[in-house]
Amino acid sequence: MGEVRIGVYICHCGKNIGGVINPSRVAEFASKLPNVVVARDYMYMCSSPGQMLIEEDIKRHNLNRVIVAACSPRMHEPTFQGVLKKAGLNPWLLEMVNIREHVTWVHEDVPDKAEEKAKELVYAAVMRAQHLYEITIHRLPVVKSALVIGGGIAGIRAALDLANAGIKVYLVEKKQSIGGKMAQLDKTFPTLDCSKCILTPLMVDVARHPNITIYAYSEVVDVSGSAGDFKVKVRLKPTYVDWSKCTGCGYCTERCPARAPREFDEGLGTRKAIYFDFPQAVPRRPVIDPKYCLWFTKGICRACEKLCPVGAIDFNQKDRYIELNVGAIIVATGYELYDMTKLREYGYGKYKNVITGLQLERLSDADGPTKGKIVRLSDGKEPETVAIVLCAGSRDEKHVRYCCRFGCAAAIKHVYYVKHSVPEAKVFVLYTDIRAFGKGYEEFYQRLRGMDDVYFIRGRPAEIFEAKDGSLIFDVFDSNTGQLLSIKADLVVLESAVVPPKDWESLRRMLKISCDPGGFALELHPKLRPFETTADGIFLAGAIQGPKDIPDTVAHAAAAAAAAIGFLSKGEVESTPYLAVVNEDLCSGCGLCASVCPFDAIEIKEEGGRRIAKVNVIRCKGCGACAATCPSGAMQQNYFTDTQIVSEVSALAGGAK
Amino acid sequence: MLVSLEAKLINRKYLDSVKELVKPHTPQYCYQCAKCTSACTASKVIPEYKPHLIVALTRMGLIKQLLDSGIIWACTECWKCGEYCPQNVAPVEVIIALKNLAVASGYRPPEDLIAMARNVIELGRISPPIEVLSKEFEIYSRESLNLPPLVRPYAHESMRKTLKDLLGGL
Amino acid sequence: MVKVLLYLGCTIPTKQYAYEISARNVLPRLGVELVEFPEAGCCGFPLKGINKNAWIYMSARILSLASMRNLPILALCNGCDTSLRKIKTLLNEDESLRKYMAKLLANEGIELHTDVEVYHVVDLLHDVVGVNKIKELVKKPLTGIKIASYPGCHLLRPSDIPRPEDSVDPRKFDNLLSALGASVGYYPDKGGCCGATMLPYSAKYALRVVAGKIKNIKEFNFDAVSTSCPYCMEMLDAKQDAARSEVGDESISIPVFYLTQLIGLAIGLSPKELGLSLNLSPVEGVLEKLGVSLSG
Repeated sequence: MGEVRIGVYICHCGKNIGGVINPSRVAEFASKLPNVVVARDYMYMCSSPGQMLIEEDIKRHNLNRVIVAACSPRMHEPTFQGVLKKAGLNPWLLEMVNIREHVTWVHEDVPDKAEEKAKELVYAAVMRAQHLYEITIHRLPVVKSALVIGGGIAGIRAALDLANAGIKVYLVEKKQSIGGKMAQLDKTFPTLDCSKCILTPLMVDVARHPNITIYAYSEVVDVSGSAGDFKVKVRLKPTYVDWSKCTGCGYCTERCPARAPREFDEGLGTRKAIYFDFPQAVPRRPVIDPKYCLWFTKGICRACEKLCPVGAIDFNQKDRYIELNVGAIIVATGYELYDMTKLREYGYGKYKNVITGLQLERLSDADGPTKGKIVRLSDGKEPETVAIVLCAGSRDEKHVRYCCRFGCAAAIKHVYYVKHSVPEAKVFVLYTDIRAFGKGYEEFYQRLRGMDDVYFIRGRPAEIFEAKDGSLIFDVFDSNTGQLLSIKADLVVLESAVVPPKDWESLRRMLKISCDPGGFALELHPKLRPFETTADGIFLAGAIQGPKDIPDTVAHAAAAAAAAIGFLSKGEVESTPYLAVVNEDLCSGCGLCASVCPFDAIEIKEEGGRRIAKVNVIRCKGCGACAATCPSGAMQQNYFTDTQIVSEVSALAGGAK
Repeated sequence: MLVSLEAKLINRKYLDSVKELVKPHTPQYCYQCAKCTSACTASKVIPEYKPHLIVALTRMGLIKQLLDSGIIWACTECWKCGEYCPQNVAPVEVIIALKNLAVASGYRPPEDLIAMARNVIELGRISPPIEVLSKEFEIYSRESLNLPPLVRPYAHESMRKTLKDLLGGL
Repeated sequence: MVKVLLYLGCTIPTKQYAYEISARNVLPRLGVELVEFPEAGCCGFPLKGINKNAWIYMSARILSLASMRNLPILALCNGCDTSLRKIKTLLNEDESLRKYMAKLLANEGIELHTDVEVYHVVDLLHDVVGVNKIKELVKKPLTGIKIASYPGCHLLRPSDIPRPEDSVDPRKFDNLLSALGASVGYYPDKGGCCGATMLPYSAKYALRVVAGKIKNIKEFNFDAVSTSCPYCMEMLDAKQDAARSEVGDESISIPVFYLTQLIGLAIGLSPKELGLSLNLSPVEGVLEKLGVSLSG
């Protein structure tokens, strides 16, 4: 680089700095320091004239290092880096010294000492500046496509927004059809819209969109690469139906003689061995379940094959794998209900007439096992008394610590289902707190609590027992009336706690995103960045980040899509300026750096008969762990090299002269 | 159970002692779901007995009337409340702590309990062997049933001394 | 053959003699060698309401004395079983409490040791002796008798320490009764409380608790009730008449047996060897069905 020529600028920042110390004395002190060519003080360095001052000095005095002693770099580092850029200098030849937050704002009471400290900090900066060097930002093109994992309402919304922005979207869904939990609901609160009626048009939009490719009955098995250039391996599970030939006529599903429990009905109804998840399935292509298919289990039948008008049945299908190359990934894998058999005192799984809220949705749905009639499971009769128990497993140190968020609104909706199906029924809602926070929720709550024969009881039952006739009996203390009530209910509905999907852990590790104490995906910032993660290019949509109702899910998914669109539209990804850099001559390939890198950014490669550490410039986030670990000093971090840091520290230790 | 609601009666002293005695349980986290009272054996026969209310009163230090009423001795220690409580409050532990505090503050536990404690100190067991009556009104004793005679517990003298210290002036 | 210290606690050796009699005669025939443990006193359970440390001290003492004998403890009473296991756990988890108890005991020349195995009759017979072994020994099966098992609160809870029975779905007691040829079944709140600890506060209300339990059981058509705790037996059997008068309901009437008494009957022992004349509930009916007479 040749001769080092430093310009030092001391800002008054009005009275913030100038009111405590004397900046011109500091500037005078700085002017005598090694390689300092010019040193000035000015009222407001960040102002236009202030910036012009620096720019002109750079040109006039051929400066190749600039030090600005002012406020925190978090305020104006980019501002002054802009000045350097404009004057034709690499922006990382700038160094900022914080003499406001670190000096004048905290040492107002001892101005003499404050000025000494300011001088020492400027001296240290000058000694460090001798060793600053130009930093290059690597830019790599992004692949303008996105992967959306999960085809529920969150994935659907995100996919549509991405596709409408001109981005190619791959939507991977593990079930036969997209639609997720929302497809299983009968109605949605608080408007009581028919859930599938508002969902299926969106599902069709996804199917028809030229920019979206759906991979249903598939799962992600491997993720590699880096932001802007992910390589994703997807396993297409065998459906035993050639979906390219199949027309979705459904004849096969009508004729199949085998029966299986219907997962879509939460175990309440049955389906065939060859089936669609539900009639409005998208894609409308069936799947054969080898666990129940008579051909797979007993070697007989194959009726579907004989009947299929286009010969789409293929019993020899195997797993297929495809590789997708995408720039961004949106995780929309949703939630599951906490296993109610764990709440053993409530008898779920033991007593037939204790069901979950989701099972009630299935009973209420016209497509469900009872064609929309709400009945007792033990004898198919209409219930006279229904008890809805809130917080089943939630807010409980022994089960799930947090609130499920939508249980209260769901319970109010379920009151409506029961009264709608069995108008004479008595409904008891057993709650601890009613959380009706959303738009229209309080009005919905008012409407339902005003209904005849609907009783909101403030208490939580402890044990539920079965009476001789299959109905449920339990005691519950009602804080409102101060009475211990004994309730006999024909049907008990548990609004269960909400947890992340059981099988999501392996996906989470593939993507290298952290989880919160509940197991949900950890967001970058809970208030300001709830749909981003610490992994660049990977975004979160919907309940995988935490339990949500549908409006919040859709807003969250749209935000994730917008962030992904922003990320992809830049066209390229930049490396961090604080990149880890390997001096290949010194590197012995010991691999300690790779073992501590939290971003898997370092690979030890064989090259010319040696093992050398290689840094992936996009994966590296500039955390510095590798540089600190490297025993030989081969790994250094841009802007924080050993030499730079040591010279700064030595200057401080030695004291200003 | 009418309790005065004057704010100046609220004091933390009792809650702090109870919190110390019931560690690692956490009465301060109770959110009054009343699952305990829904399960409680005693509340089914004594309507005024409500474990969630006892915890709520203890949290506010409004327990003089509570101890005066002596209702804490109604607890059967069936442990259902502790088993089902979602916040590890375990009302039964709070009540046992209140029982201990009451005795230490000079309240008298039920007479039968005092008698049991005195017997344990003197004899090593809650009662001396007694004669029982069968349905046919025959009298039986340990001897007449050919059961081996009872002896004092090991090192009874030193045990008596230690117990006297622990059980206070009973 | 398993060898255990017979720990009787307080209530059994001073009042509930039938449990001691039946245990002494039945258990050895099932392969359980009973070693006398006369130096053991109260486990401290009733003292915890007065001072918790007194309770911990008494149970720590029992565990230490058992350790000196190098044998596991068999507790016949639910309360004793809970006390011993709870104090074992407490002293293993709380360092300062352990030091304190060790000091109290050291003053008496006793070394504190808590690594003693504790059994209760139910889990000893179910898990160690085994249901099959008991089945083999049955000579006079209790066929046609529907028995409600009454495990009692302290066999089930608190479940964060090892308990002989599962806290929500107790099965072992029923399995033992089935092995004897009896029929078993469901009734609500099988893990419910007999109310014994409420007696010092109010006999009246305690009797109402037990009356409620018996009513529950009768609704489900049981012929008899069986229990494994002297407190429960005291309430269900000895105080059955009083409970009946308290609530004024003539239907509060059912035979109550100790588990050991039923096992004894099934393996062919006589009523005298089982202390059956000491039961105060109407057991004659069931005994007649089994072809046994009290005077036999």
